Amino acid sequence: MFLSVGVRFEANVEALNMVETAGNYSKHRRVPYLVEEDGKLKTVYVPALSGESLAHAYQEHLVREALSLNLPVCDDCRRNEFYKSMNKVHLKKKVNPIPDDPKKIEVAIVQSCVIEDVGGFLYAEKPPVRRSSAFQVSYALPVKSVALFATSEPQLHARHAQMDSSSKKGNASEQMIYYVETGTALYGFTFNLDLNAIGVSAITSEPILNENEIKARREAALKALFRMLSSAQFGAKLSRFFPVGGITEVAVAVTEHPFVVTSPIYDDYIARTERRLKVLEGLGEKYLFTVATGEKVPEEALKEAMDYLKEQGAF
Amino acid sequence: MVPLTFFLKVTMRPTGIIALRALPQSKMRTALRYVPPTTLIGAIAYPLFHIGGSRAETVYDRRTFRSTVGEVLGLFDWVTVKTSGKPRLYGALLKINTVYRGKVQSAVTSFPFAVMYGTNDATITAVYIINEEALAESTYRLEDIERAAWGITRLGSRESVVSVESVETGRADVIEVETAETSYAFPFKGLEVSGKGTLQSVVDWRSGIRDYSQARRMVMFYPEGSVRVRGQLRVARVGGEVIVLAP
Ligand SMILES: [Zn+2]
Repeated sequence: MFLSVGVRFEANVEALNMVETAGNYSKHRRVPYLVEEDGKLKTVYVPALSGESLAHAYQEHLVREALSLNLPVCDDCRRNEFYKSMNKVHLKKKVNPIPDDPKKIEVAIVQSCVIEDVGGFLYAEKPPVRRSSAFQVSYALPVKSVALFATSEPQLHARHAQMDSSSKKGNASEQMIYYVETGTALYGFTFNLDLNAIGVSAITSEPILNENEIKARREAALKALFRMLSSAQFGAKLSRFFPVGGITEVAVAVTEHPFVVTSPIYDDYIARTERRLKVLEGLGEKYLFTVATGEKVPEEALKEAMDYLKEQGAF
Repeated sequence: MVPLTFFLKVTMRPTGIIALRALPQSKMRTALRYVPPTTLIGAIAYPLFHIGGSRAETVYDRRTFRSTVGEVLGLFDWVTVKTSGKPRLYGALLKINTVYRGKVQSAVTSFPFAVMYGTNDATITAVYIINEEALAESTYRLEDIERAAWGITRLGSRESVVSVESVETGRADVIEVETAETSYAFPFKGLEVSGKGTLQSVVDWRSGIRDYSQARRMVMFYPEGSVRVRGQLRVARVGGEVIVLAP
């Protein structure tokens, strides 16, 4: 089973994805957007959140959901440091001595960590062992029709330190000013989850875990997504720059094989997705499509998808 | 006799960013502007394997290893792509500060992307010409290939999620001509081209996808809009459009 979710969210004054600091200026991630104005194309730079940032948030939620279901998470991932068994140093914490056989390496990693099972890993030694992530996230980008209204704006802040005149030396200042660039936009992103990948070897295609454990891990993977969306806990600087707004729309498709909802950065994404799913039906495939665009809240649509997956025996 | 071969024309919409590494699985942060054929094959292989119930990504043969995508290479006689909108490479230099176990570490990195943007609905259309003999000998049916086309989820690496907006199927007639008009990428060898476009060196997948550092390469011409091509051409007509095949 394959899940694809399109999400639209409104974020006013956010600092969800900062990329660099130049002196006392921290910059929001921005990407070029081509827009048409008076028949001419021009480039505008709009605030964005990288898929990497969203993927990191998702995996943090996955750590918590996995632990709450008593599923294994390795020590690195538990600390939200997603090294993913990238070398001998990190792999040794899971299996020591490290086996020569790539199949055994994969089994050791998958058995000991849900995050690396679902989120993939690349053990970059000899022999290299790789496992693609079972989930995929796009960038979160401003919805195209209103992209020109998206802004990123530096905000001035000051940090104070109490000092008496005797301790004041050189250029040390009692006040330091700094700027944080904040973004505002109606964003859209896409999240896919391939449930068939969980607990199955990327070398032999054979299940590595028993069916119950695979089902429990699928449940954790779904709950982590729903928790992330419902709590709006993604991106950085949430303690001081928690955005005003929230999720405005979701569209959820569940299919037997991979299928991606049209990106919610396009205004016609729901109608297009629906039409495309009809084609799959014509090819003999069952699916569920549910949207929350106003009268329904996102949680209701997500729960419907959960219920459907349960009914289909996915977990 | 004109050979008629089965084709798929797959129109995709990007979710914003298309990240195409010139050397996949390496730290080299070079990006390609246009989608290379190897990426198109990788993109359709993933849903195809899903339908076939295979999860295998890597084949280990004693000391060597390779991608399982190699198993389906033979199913394709030719693959090519056309791109509407002009992709641009965006390679910001980033200074990254991280606090790792109490120590601040600073590094500079760059992350070039080939980015597809545009209010005028930027789309990527891939054409796959199927080798029906190879397909008949494989475990897949024609319907599987069609379903797989609908199941393409991304092009290239990481965040490059796409949605397949339409899949057109039909039979292509392959003919030899001296001049043709095309908007699809073609191998740039011994041809005369009038029109704008970009040359890009890509991996020649027909020699197999193994070690990319030693793979044979070919130069492809990616038209901007459409171009006129002259020479000894073998072309296929795919649903009202023309693609130029390799010599
Ligand atoms: Zn782990």
